[in-house]
Amino acid sequence: MAQMITSAVSQAAANFVEAIRLFLPRVVTTLSIVLAGWLIAAALRLVVRWILGWLRFNAACERAGLAQMLKAADLPQADVLVSRMVFWIVWIGFLLSGVDVLGFTVLEGLMASFILFIPRLVIAVAIFVAGLLAANFLWRATLLTAVNAHAPSPRLLAGAARWLVLILAGAMALDQIAVARTIVLTAFAIAFGAVMLGLAIAFGIGGGHVARRFLDRQFPGSPTERAPDDVSHL
Amino acid sequence: MSGPSTHATDWYKDALFYQLHVKTFCDSDGDGVGDFRGLTSKLDYIRDLGVTCLWLLPMYPSPFRDDGYDIADYCSIHPAYGTMDDFRVFLDEVHARDMRVITELVVNHTSDQHQWFKEARSSREHPRRDWYVWSDTDDRYRGVRIIFTDTEQSNWAWDPGTKQYYWHRFFSHQPDLNYDNPAVQEEIWRAMRFWLDVGVDGFRVDAVPYLIERDGTSCENLPETHAVLKFLRRRLDEHYTGKVLLAEANQWPEDVRHYFGQDDEFHMAFHFPLMPRMFMALRLEDRKPLVEIVERTPAIPESCQWGIFLRNHDELTLEMVTDVERDFMYDEYARDPVARINVGIRRRLAPLLEGDRRRIELMNGMLMSLPGSPFLYYGDEIGMGDNIYLGDRNGVRTPMQWSGGWNGGFSSADPERLAQPVISNAVYGYQSVNVEAQRRTDHSLLNWTRRLIAARKSSPVFSRGSIVFLKPVNHRVLAFLRSLDREQVLVVCNLAGTAQAVQLDLKDYAGAVPIEMFGKSVFPRIGEAPYVLTLGPYDFFWFRLRRL
Amino acid sequence: MPQPSLLTDDLVQQLMAVGQVDILVGIPTLNNASTIGPVVRAVHLAFARYFQRERTVLINSDGGSEDGTPAIVRDLSLDEPDTLVVRHALRTTHRISAPYHGVPGKGSALRQIFAAADLLQARAVAVLDPDVTSVTPEWVRALVAPVVGDGFGFVAPVYARHPLDGPLVTQLVRPLLRAAYGLRLAEPQAAEFGCSGRFAADCVELDVWDTPLAQFGIDLWLTGRAIASGCRLCQAPLGPRTVATGTHRPGLSETFGQVVGSLFTLLGTQADTWLPRTGSDPLPVLGPPAPPPAEPARLDGERLLQSFGTNVRDLKSVLDAILVPETESALEAAALGQPADLRFPDDLWVATVYQFLAAHHQGVMRREHVTQALLPLYLARTGSFVLQHAGTDAASVDAALEALCLEFERAKPYLVQRWTGAPSR
Repeated sequence: MAQMITSAVSQAAANFVEAIRLFLPRVVTTLSIVLAGWLIAAALRLVVRWILGWLRFNAACERAGLAQMLKAADLPQADVLVSRMVFWIVWIGFLLSGVDVLGFTVLEGLMASFILFIPRLVIAVAIFVAGLLAANFLWRATLLTAVNAHAPSPRLLAGAARWLVLILAGAMALDQIAVARTIVLTAFAIAFGAVMLGLAIAFGIGGGHVARRFLDRQFPGSPTERAPDDVSHL
Repeated sequence: MSGPSTHATDWYKDALFYQLHVKTFCDSDGDGVGDFRGLTSKLDYIRDLGVTCLWLLPMYPSPFRDDGYDIADYCSIHPAYGTMDDFRVFLDEVHARDMRVITELVVNHTSDQHQWFKEARSSREHPRRDWYVWSDTDDRYRGVRIIFTDTEQSNWAWDPGTKQYYWHRFFSHQPDLNYDNPAVQEEIWRAMRFWLDVGVDGFRVDAVPYLIERDGTSCENLPETHAVLKFLRRRLDEHYTGKVLLAEANQWPEDVRHYFGQDDEFHMAFHFPLMPRMFMALRLEDRKPLVEIVERTPAIPESCQWGIFLRNHDELTLEMVTDVERDFMYDEYARDPVARINVGIRRRLAPLLEGDRRRIELMNGMLMSLPGSPFLYYGDEIGMGDNIYLGDRNGVRTPMQWSGGWNGGFSSADPERLAQPVISNAVYGYQSVNVEAQRRTDHSLLNWTRRLIAARKSSPVFSRGSIVFLKPVNHRVLAFLRSLDREQVLVVCNLAGTAQAVQLDLKDYAGAVPIEMFGKSVFPRIGEAPYVLTLGPYDFFWFRLRRL
Repeated sequence: MPQPSLLTDDLVQQLMAVGQVDILVGIPTLNNASTIGPVVRAVHLAFARYFQRERTVLINSDGGSEDGTPAIVRDLSLDEPDTLVVRHALRTTHRISAPYHGVPGKGSALRQIFAAADLLQARAVAVLDPDVTSVTPEWVRALVAPVVGDGFGFVAPVYARHPLDGPLVTQLVRPLLRAAYGLRLAEPQAAEFGCSGRFAADCVELDVWDTPLAQFGIDLWLTGRAIASGCRLCQAPLGPRTVATGTHRPGLSETFGQVVGSLFTLLGTQADTWLPRTGSDPLPVLGPPAPPPAEPARLDGERLLQSFGTNVRDLKSVLDAILVPETESALEAAALGQPADLRFPDDLWVATVYQFLAAHHQGVMRREHVTQALLPLYLARTGSFVLQHAGTDAASVDAALEALCLEFERAKPYLVQRWTGAPSR
């Protein structure tokens, strides 16, 4: 009996050691992959930062107003942000690849899923960034036009324009990465529709004269009548 | 195609006139003055040129204070030019060569040395007193323009003998005849009759607009003047056929029209306004002035004809142009103020055109193809020069240059004895510009002019045809159609000193083949599309349009 | 790929027929049927009265008018008693109307006119505006005679106007260009001008014609080009300039954007020319100036200042990117108070303009936004100037405008520093 137990325990220990012996190389491999990945990702981060610096990416973001938005959100500069994103995407890739080597069945499909996920993530980020840029442009354009047209509450109008675009861009980005799709779509549709309806009602009831002035200016059927103070500045 | 008939009563419509001054054409007796014998010896030259009618400057006795236009005897020959017999021989020789002669009839005035005036001024009661126009004051006919502005300050001159003023539209030594006096009219007719009986074929009537004076008028072109002229024409028609009266009336075309009457005044009249506009068009490189004056010219009776010319014995008159045009002509053609006289330019054709052979050819080409009978001025066919430093208009009346020899072959007299000095500078002097040299050169201006005249005479369309101007967008090109019955000639002239391209709208003549008249080259058939031609600087074409 | 032609075949044919000319007058048009006739008549009268011996041509470059403008130009009769002198002119009169191709706008029309001048070897070119009802034959003479007679390369007009009129010119364009280029040009962006054929021919081959500058700022660009190319400039008094009422003209916002945008862009492209220049020199004025109108056009200064305060507040985030803090604070301070009491002093205006110009050059944001942001400040400045000089005589206003110009000149080193230095923030 004791011999049986000893034999069983010895066998179990041997199996355990064997398992560990078989597993250890995988751990080492995994760690190597992770470490190499870290190094590569760090190097890529530097390369990307250098490339963006050579392309004057920060200046372009400043012109587009993106830099101000990042600063307002307490985020680092755009080139740092992008290089960090590149670092994390690459390193996470290596991480998952390393984890895959360990052979955990649960994690086996993760790499594949991650690889499939990355392009959508990139597109989603691109959509959101484009939306940010468009929102910023629209905000400034609306603000300036409204001020020069003596429209009421130009900042409100400009802000509304910006947030509308941001919401749209955010919804599109989330939809792209399939996060809470139904909720996001529904919430966006409700919010966007409500805002549009509200604007239509407000404009229709209260802004008829503005519309008429705008249309008259765009499609002058007859010569424009100059108001008494409407003189040529040239 | 046969040439025009020389026996028709309207022979002048087809004539090619050659104006010459007996005094400076050819001297036969070595006295330094040209004469009829000398002229007779040169008739073959004139005939060979293609001329059909000679026009002689005044050959009458005269004190020569106006180069013979101050006549002292209407019915005689100046002794320096020869005798009446010399003149008769000359006439016979002209007629034998199928040519004609017209002489000057200076009707408006005489010399103050004429017997008539000597008698008229002898006393206020003399019967011939009112053969001239007298006045106690110089107030009559106030405002009438002075014609010889460089020399005269008034149209009245004071006669100290009878203490009255006498009227003179020209020089003060040329008192005007009084045509309100029928006796004057009859006497002038007598003078005309004299020469017509001798055998002349007509008269170039000098200074016709000024015959009659009336207060409150310009004393030009008055109805009474036309009445006098109609009287002379009536007498002519009653007694003669085939004679021509040619009016010298320096007026606008619509005013000259009256001198044709209803074919009961003059047969011909000079078209004065056309001449400066030809020079203007050339300098402007723009056909506008020329086309406008021709289109402004009114129609004349069927038997009448315009006389067209480039130059003559007088200054290139600028009376019938606007002030702007006159200033332009002075600045372009007479920069040297010595060349300007009265209201004109006293230069010959070649110096006016700076001796440019191409421009001389172009101007002659236009002269020979525009409506009217052309008048050539002696010496211009060889490109003679002038001498603006001789007085009055004598600079364009220098001796004909026949050869490079003694006095240019004009006279055997000592050069100092010549009536006028021969041109002797390096450019236009007789040594380089003379008939003999140009006879020997096939492409000389002389021979070219002969060929030009021959081409003109090859078709009656030039002398009798209608004219329609084509007006291509290129204003530097003058183009017109001459038509007579079924004969059509297209004339295209490049007025510019640069090569030009022109598109002519000839679709009304589609199907015709243009044949260039000098070289007989065939050009592409005319179609519906604009007809494209290119011309070199100052080039011109005459195309006969043939239906083949 | 062959380059598209500037001159159509039909136009070349017509130009061939005209041949070499001495004077070419160009009129760019687009739907100007109601006003073009008198302008064409004035040109022909000028030819007949003042340039009888010269070879002349009038060329109308049309942008596709639908109201029959080209037909009016081509068929205009000169048989009236007042134009008989034209009929009796020494030379054939030439008049061409042809459509232009290319980007719609005055630039393409002018390029075609210049190309025609080049082909015809014109000695002098003059350009007129078809909407102006005060054009006389003397205008043509004034613009052409200095080129033909005195060898000038560019002739800018001087209009007789009250110093309070045309504030965009007097408050901004004129003093800025004067300080930049060192030349006292009264009308730097006039629609009418004269130039030598050589200048016109040189302009044809330049790159500007396909840029927005050609569409909206060609007049300014031509002036700048004339200055930069070193040709002899002069000015010619033309008298009052009256534009036909009822003419469709863009609104102030659009006009301001076009003019100021073109001005800033022009200065950006010619920085090498104007940066080193200091001070300013007068330009010869050929001819006696016409007296200006006694009364200025009505401008309500108070109304212009009404939104000054709110505009400065609303645009703060935009102005932050353009102006230095001191200037922005000064603006905010100036914008406090009742409109009738607000004042926009010369030095603040000059500093503002220079900082906007530098920001435009450095591209701190989209350039159209920079110019749009300047408009409310310009209106405030204009309102302030009008209020300050309401009721004063023209001479006093002139003196004030001269003081403004001198302020622009005095502060030029600041502009140079901003131009070549770091961005504003």
